Amino acid sequence: MWRVVPGQSLVFREWDGEAVLYNDLSGNTHLLDGGAVDVLLALRAQPLDAATLAARLADRFDADTDADALPAAIADMLTDLARLDLVESLPC
Amino acid sequence: MLTVADLPRRELAARLAGPGLVLRTGPFANRIRSDIPQLRDGIALLYADYPVDAPGGFADFHLSLRRAGGLRRFFRPQVCFSHEGVSPFKPLPLAQAFPMFEWVMNWCVTHRAHSWLIIHAAVLERHGRAIILPAPPGSGKSTLCAALVTRGWRLLSDEMTLVRLDDGAVLPLPRPVSLKNESIGIIRAYAPDAVLSPPVENTNKGTIAHLKAPSASIARVGDVAQPAFIVFPRYEAGAPVTLTPMGRARAFMGVAENAFNYQVLGMRGFTALGQLIDATAAFEFRYSKLDDAVQLFERMARDGV
Amino acid sequence: MKTLPVLLRVLRDPAAAVGLDAAGWDLLLRQALNADMSAILLVLLEDAGLLEQVPKAARSHLEWARMTGERHARAVRYEVLQIGRALSGLGLPLILLKGSAYALAGLAAGRGRLFSDIDILVPKAQLGEVEAALMLHGWAGTHQDAYDQRYYREWMHELPPMEHLRRGNVIDVHHAILPETAAVRPDPAKLRAAAVALPALDPGMPPLHVLAPHDMVLHCAVHLFSEGEFSHGTRNLFDLHRLLLEFGRQDGFWDGLPARARALELGRPLFYALRYCRRLLGTPIPDAVLRATAAEGPAQPLRALMDSLFLRALLPAHPSCADAFAPLAHGMLYIRGNWLRMPFFMLTRHLFHKAFLSPDAKPVH
Repeated sequence: MWRVVPGQSLVFREWDGEAVLYNDLSGNTHLLDGGAVDVLLALRAQPLDAATLAARLADRFDADTDADALPAAIADMLTDLARLDLVESLPC
Repeated sequence: MLTVADLPRRELAARLAGPGLVLRTGPFANRIRSDIPQLRDGIALLYADYPVDAPGGFADFHLSLRRAGGLRRFFRPQVCFSHEGVSPFKPLPLAQAFPMFEWVMNWCVTHRAHSWLIIHAAVLERHGRAIILPAPPGSGKSTLCAALVTRGWRLLSDEMTLVRLDDGAVLPLPRPVSLKNESIGIIRAYAPDAVLSPPVENTNKGTIAHLKAPSASIARVGDVAQPAFIVFPRYEAGAPVTLTPMGRARAFMGVAENAFNYQVLGMRGFTALGQLIDATAAFEFRYSKLDDAVQLFERMARDGV
Repeated sequence: MKTLPVLLRVLRDPAAAVGLDAAGWDLLLRQALNADMSAILLVLLEDAGLLEQVPKAARSHLEWARMTGERHARAVRYEVLQIGRALSGLGLPLILLKGSAYALAGLAAGRGRLFSDIDILVPKAQLGEVEAALMLHGWAGTHQDAYDQRYYREWMHELPPMEHLRRGNVIDVHHAILPETAAVRPDPAKLRAAAVALPALDPGMPPLHVLAPHDMVLHCAVHLFSEGEFSHGTRNLFDLHRLLLEFGRQDGFWDGLPARARALELGRPLFYALRYCRRLLGTPIPDAVLRATAAEGPAQPLRALMDSLFLRALLPAHPSCADAFAPLAHGMLYIRGNWLRMPFFMLTRHLFHKAFLSPDAKPVH
């Protein structure tokens, strides 16, 4: 299960599918693609696991993405977002 | 209003040597103390039109540039900058007193003036539209800036773009434009009537000279400008003029990377930069001929596209 | 005593700023900037409801300081989080010291404070593991000169400062609060035993600790009064002042303070702390405590000499506050600071090394 790190307000600006996001903890700013922002916003609503995220967001990602590859791609994305202290995994 | 040119030379020297010359640049009052003749002459030449406050009041920045003492005085004279009793930098050869002065004037603002998002960029205005030119050293920004200044553009700054946090207006901070190495000759040829300081050699950036800011720009120091364009310039020998639109998110990151105090401002900086990106169109720009660049910018400022 | 510098007058009583003219504000802000206390000045004036009365030009400077203060507060929380993560597998109690302790514990002394290094206290036996864990997480040792290494590891009470390669922040890892070589050896085990846990920063991490209130005050006092250099003298004295004000409201704090000082062999630093806080900042201290600690102070004429040294060195370091004797006072306290930390033969060798052999240049003051 994943959730947004407490204390992150996820303030972001998006233009043409690319976004910049302010990291409340580190004070850094990150360049993210729109897909990553969708993942963050979905997790802000409630903690979810990678498979559920993939199912919910399937229609937002490119049509030609292999349906089986999406959960793995999302898992990779979550690992990257965790490294930035934006999300964290919870013991299930 | 009293300017540097209104002070008799002796009075200028006395203030610098004594209570300090309080020089206004943009929104700042700078109290300057120095016993170095090259610096006094540089100020008299390049800051002639700038307002001067009476000494003894409030100043934003206090700078002291003096000859370093000791035996060194006689063999290799040096200039030392001190700020409230602390000398943050190593001394430089005395001949570099004026470039050092320009450099520490910048340092004072970029390290402390956090009422603004301060971008390492030139900013000029024409026809009511301001163009911001962020660029790392060596990109030709200052040459381009100097060229535009000599072709009627209002200079707001050649080095530090001050973006007001609440409303995104750009505050003028016109100061001498620094030129390095070949740029000096290029601008002399491009604008034979321009007032330039004597070149100073062997600085850690090569030979440096400073171009006097136009009086008209200094006179309008109270008029903010509205930014319309952010242009990342790059000089490339032989390159035709090319203007390539830039994605806004990438432009955001490009400006953040070129801002002195973006990290200090935290969320406020993020918000202000987002608004700046909303208000402007961003481009990457390649050029080799100054005239081509000047013509293109003129069209952008006139037509708004 | 001559008139106090304007910065001290305002620290004692923020309302003293209200009557200042342009030149007065100019000087106050410059003294504060030099002392790294601009953001603290902002906090004091804002808490006292006086910000609206500050003239516009000076007010801008305070707002600049607000940005810097907030930035530091954010950075110290994040840095402590990273340190906690790096050390979480070691099972040792992580004790924060000094500024980062005040900030993370939400104390008044942490507000507006700027931070350079982060100081932590760990058991001596686990120094090696701590150093290794930090290196694994991106910190690298500094002061690679063999002499400096020995200075820190063998003689002082800490690892050489470690700098994070990417973030640039520095951590100082201590195993005691005074050096091995000092004559007085407050027992770190006692400090660790009394340490207080803070709410956890991160669910995955063991809780952080800070020293107990008495020990926090005593550490601040011994740090200030065995130091050789006083560029942050005013700020550190003001830390003490704010700690005493805050903890002084807790039951039993004042009663227990003299005894705890004696138990840790820190009676003399406490004497100085109370004496100079009272003289320079007007800190309210119960008479009973002053009487209980009076005997810990030096006898005359040493007492008068120490007054003349400390009452100069603890003034703001700005040139406007120095009199003709200030350089001599600083010089003597520098020697004293080193003398307190190491035996005489080591001291001379150390000073010689610092003056002539050390490759690191210090900023010129």
